[in-house]
Amino acid sequence: MRITPAEVATLSLSIKVALLSLVIMFPPGLWIGWLLAKRTFPGKAFLNTLVMCPLVLPPIVSGYLLLILLGKHGVIGGFIYRVFGIEIVFSQFAVIIAVSIISFPLLVRGILTGMESVPPELESAARTLGASPFKVFWTITFPLAYRGIVSGTILGFSKSLGEFGATIMVAGNIPGKTQTMALAIFSAVHLGEDASVYRLVFISTIVAFIALWLTDRFTLR
Amino acid sequence: MADSPKIRLDFRKSLGSFTLEVDCTLETKVSAFLGVSGSGKSTLLNCVSGTLAPDEGEIVFGDEILYASTAKINLPPEKRRFGYVFQEGYLFPHLTVAQNIRYGQPDRRKSSDAIDVLEISELLQRYPKELSGGQRQRVAIARALAMEPRMLLMDEPLAALDSGLKDRIIPYLHHIKEAFEIPILYVTHTFSEVMALADEAFLIADGKIMARGEPHGLLTAPSAMPIAQLTGVENVLFLPVTVSDKPRSLTSLEMGDQPLMIPYIDVEVGEVVPVAIRAQDIIISLEPNVSLSARNVLPGKIQCLDVKNERTWLSILVGRHHLAVKITHEARRQLQLREGLKVYCIIKASAINLLRD
Repeated sequence: MRITPAEVATLSLSIKVALLSLVIMFPPGLWIGWLLAKRTFPGKAFLNTLVMCPLVLPPIVSGYLLLILLGKHGVIGGFIYRVFGIEIVFSQFAVIIAVSIISFPLLVRGILTGMESVPPELESAARTLGASPFKVFWTITFPLAYRGIVSGTILGFSKSLGEFGATIMVAGNIPGKTQTMALAIFSAVHLGEDASVYRLVFISTIVAFIALWLTDRFTLR
Repeated sequence: MADSPKIRLDFRKSLGSFTLEVDCTLETKVSAFLGVSGSGKSTLLNCVSGTLAPDEGEIVFGDEILYASTAKINLPPEKRRFGYVFQEGYLFPHLTVAQNIRYGQPDRRKSSDAIDVLEISELLQRYPKELSGGQRQRVAIARALAMEPRMLLMDEPLAALDSGLKDRIIPYLHHIKEAFEIPILYVTHTFSEVMALADEAFLIADGKIMARGEPHGLLTAPSAMPIAQLTGVENVLFLPVTVSDKPRSLTSLEMGDQPLMIPYIDVEVGEVVPVAIRAQDIIISLEPNVSLSARNVLPGKIQCLDVKNERTWLSILVGRHHLAVKITHEARRQLQLREGLKVYCIIKASAINLLRD
């Protein structure tokens, strides 16, 4: 099995995008997961719905909404184009944004579940022992929510690797620029390049398998 | 503790349909709040610790205001420096015993005195799940002491333990009372713990303080029946020992003019011992000479009869002692019990529990 340079580029783009998306989304994911698990505030249900939306919307719909927002004439895209002269859609930025939006609910779900499993009484006990809310978060909540956080992270990462619908809408399918693994498989099938399809499918399966195995390793007792 | 700070509690807190309303000043070293579950004891402690904000009022420690609704002051728990021992312990499961104890310790290099007082130096490297119930509770107490608190809050620290273990932990609590110069606010539903530890007791029911006073006086007052009803607990009596017979394994106490037999205890004749008898452990009979295995048949007179929802409560005068007795409505009807009636109280020797410090 000989992997072509184009396929290597696709794979490395996919991994790069998924990692970057994770680095960018992890801090807000942690914060929103904590808010949803531990706080009551007005608009909590709305925030939850907003964050979880991409999980139930068809990715192609999320992608279309992003396209409207980020396009040259969109609210966000238009602003960025006027100020910085950068066009977001059909760029690698667009891939990262699409992938982040779609995988964010999975990341938050994991973190939220993990944090909900931490008894609030333990956090109260830590407060009475002199710990600030910040210290309580890092010494009690975070370590005890560890399994949920790891599983959310790895599920989100895997989702990012395989994202298709939203990516193709906002980033297109430009080989070497915005073509990720999933998009490359789609193209290869269309072009009838069976050998390439097999190789890409094989690599995807291996990557997914490793991600799942890692999750279980870290989260199963 | 002449220079110990007074703690002023004057606040109100509603949780659903329940309202806690307290107005008192704690002046002694160990103040105990005695009440059944749901009486508001834990809510009280949570407000004092700062983990729950009252609706209005004030909490003052010495001359430091911890909470005042009018001035909008509510010091967060981490600024109050009150050690809190929870009924369930709440040790941090991901930390070892040593790490748990160090968690709130101001100077982490030195070893805490609490480790020696509570005899847990053998357990330091273990995780909470590797500890027995009694060990866990000792660690929880040590953790609260290691933070060098200004006051110790204890929420039923012994309730999760069986009675044998309780008896083993109480001496540790005594030791703490002596070794650490801080006030203790102790919350419990058990008479004997109040008797053993408290300098002043507060009876709490339905979110209100019903009575306060020196524990022995308060809990053995002639009007003990409402207290027995409030706390769901027994009669507490102080009786002199008249016979102490080891070979026959019997000890006899004097109650009124009657002997009260209890299982043998190692005490001198003439010594006065505190005993508790649960209100439902006393059988009422109209005849003195019934054939029963119970050793004690005491003549008395019904002074007061109170029909509550599920049970009938009797206050029976035996000699100069009052006994609170709980019976079914059915029994009251069948025996045609009424105030002023002469009856016999039948008590098994084993139903008489010695309250020892």
